[in-house]
Amino acid sequence: MIDEPKTTTAPAAEETPRYRRHQERILKGNFAAAEAARLCRVGFVPAYPITPQTTIVERLSEMVAGGELDATYINMDSEHSVFAAAMGAALGGERVFTATAGQGLFYAHEVLQAIAHFRLPMVMCNVGRPSIPWNIWSDQSDSLSQRDAGWIQFYGESSQEVLDTIIMSYLLSEQLNIPVMVVLDAFYQSHTSENIWVPDQELVDEFLPPRRPGAMRIDLGHPRAFGGLVPPEHYYKFNYNWWKDAQKVEALSDEIAGRFARHFGRAYGNVEAVNIGPHTRLVLVAVSSITTTARGVIRKYPDVGLLKLRLLRPFPKASVLKVLESLPEDAVLANVERNFLGDAEGAIQQEMKRALYGSRNFRMLDFYAGVGGKDVPPLTIEKIIYRAKNEPKDFNWIDVG
Amino acid sequence: MIPVHEFLIKDEKVFSGALGCRGCGWSLLVRHLSSILGENTVYVVPACCFSIISGPYPLNELKGNIVHTVFAAASATATGLRASLDRQGNKDTTVVILAGDGGTFDIGLQALSGAAARGENILYIVNNNGAYMNTGIQTSTATPYGAVTTTNPNGEFKRTWPKDLMGIVAAHNLPYAATCSLAHLQDLRRKMEKARDITGFRLLMVDGPCPPGHKTDPALSISVARLAVETKLFPLFEIERQHYTLNYIPEKVLPVVECLKYQGRFKHLFTDESSYILEEIQEHTDRYWQQLLARAGMAGALVQEAAP
Repeated sequence: MIDEPKTTTAPAAEETPRYRRHQERILKGNFAAAEAARLCRVGFVPAYPITPQTTIVERLSEMVAGGELDATYINMDSEHSVFAAAMGAALGGERVFTATAGQGLFYAHEVLQAIAHFRLPMVMCNVGRPSIPWNIWSDQSDSLSQRDAGWIQFYGESSQEVLDTIIMSYLLSEQLNIPVMVVLDAFYQSHTSENIWVPDQELVDEFLPPRRPGAMRIDLGHPRAFGGLVPPEHYYKFNYNWWKDAQKVEALSDEIAGRFARHFGRAYGNVEAVNIGPHTRLVLVAVSSITTTARGVIRKYPDVGLLKLRLLRPFPKASVLKVLESLPEDAVLANVERNFLGDAEGAIQQEMKRALYGSRNFRMLDFYAGVGGKDVPPLTIEKIIYRAKNEPKDFNWIDVG
Repeated sequence: MIPVHEFLIKDEKVFSGALGCRGCGWSLLVRHLSSILGENTVYVVPACCFSIISGPYPLNELKGNIVHTVFAAASATATGLRASLDRQGNKDTTVVILAGDGGTFDIGLQALSGAAARGENILYIVNNNGAYMNTGIQTSTATPYGAVTTTNPNGEFKRTWPKDLMGIVAAHNLPYAATCSLAHLQDLRRKMEKARDITGFRLLMVDGPCPPGHKTDPALSISVARLAVETKLFPLFEIERQHYTLNYIPEKVLPVVECLKYQGRFKHLFTDESSYILEEIQEHTDRYWQQLLARAGMAGALVQEAAP
């Protein structure tokens, strides 16, 4: 007999609640993201097409043209210009949304930094794909390579989670004046239809007030210079203030998720632990849709747990330590990487080591799976578990072929 | 004619203490521009000399908001600001870009082209001093043929012609684009006023004196700018929906050397073995002038010009 693994937050399928003041719709992930932007009453959407993000901005242009969304939608000349326009409109006081992927995110790197350093609130969606040589499939190397651009990063396991996270992110971003990137998986989410609970506009309006005036906003009555040459002592202080606010992200994200759960009925943590306790020998660490696959597979393995990372930047160290508290010292962590960033260790293992340093000294094994869109079916997860248990190696590539 | 004792700038919209070099054109340009646009203006400044001249944090030389932005995307930043102002009912606020030639001819050209093609309601001012002067005189695609820069030193002087930026922007079917000289202030002010009152994407290219970059005497900045117009090196014209109008036709023929000889960046050309370069510059200048006459529908004038 196999014991059913214990799930902390995700309700079992048969318990799916009927959410009040919602409509249940069948939506692809990209359309769910566009719905979220509409519900947040964004005022400015600069856009540039890139697969597999394109249908997000297509849907938003349709909403604006059809009068469903009162926003200014502009077809820009590049992603660099998209984010520069987003920066201008956010400085002008608008609530801004845009979306990109892969090369587009890489191209925008300079402006991502500028937006974060300007302390401008906004939310963008990145539909993960890797760098040229051309590849349009699911991979998180793009967003994970931008971990240090100063944006808060969330990774959505389901399209419902993406929709809900966008709504929560505006609250978080506008409270701290730090921009937020919400990442979804190419095709597995972006182009896959799911049942999505879309909240009523009034329900969202009660939760998310209009953008309040912030310090970083032009005021025609009180002209100032923004972004001019900043001498070292001021630049140092700007970064100190930002650093202080970055420390608040983890707790504030939890607080907002709590309010969201009470208001909408769906609960999210910065991380989620499945079957992690004194009996657990192995913990898979995963983000996005791979988590769903792993969730199913580990039901057969009573001693295998799952740690899902939803908030990835700033890394939710306290949340991770808390859910691993009861894990025995000789347990092993298997980090599942859908990224390759040119180092021996993938981004997930780098982050996990950083978080646990000085606190817990678990053996960590790194598993590259799903890079470049390589499918990660249940069998791959089984192989990871088998290798971790029977032939543990520091670095592993599954079925290189 | 305005009497000589009457100042053109009635209401100063800049503060003192700008950080320009002696003889730099930026401050004069911005003093005139801001006096014409007034305080209901948002300035967008990519990396260029003016981003330094206007003052480090928290200073602001101008009586208007300045948004300093990334080098390549002044036009895109201005697009977002314009959209936010429009959404908030501030349609009468002018959004103006103050850029150098590097940020316009080179790294900012794509964003400029995008905003121009979209017809964004933005005024674009390019102070063309013919090189990356803020970083210390490096070649741009606006650098004149024959000029020496730190990246085209000595015998490796620039041997390609600068881009015809005005031709490029004209191809975007703009409502208004014009060239301006600080030696022709009334013409410059008329064009700034005209650009202010037109809706859509407007561009003014101003000949930018730069004593350290051009190796000129700071006291001669305006004189050299005047000679650039007289020698037809920097013709004054306007373009409205691809219709060209020449604003100034020099009374007498003055060879380009009369302007180039005051600029140390060309001094290596004044030798017997290099004199053919000066001839090439003269030929190119004449050819461009004739093209301008033809574009302005002044073909008759062209025939007259050609006749000695």
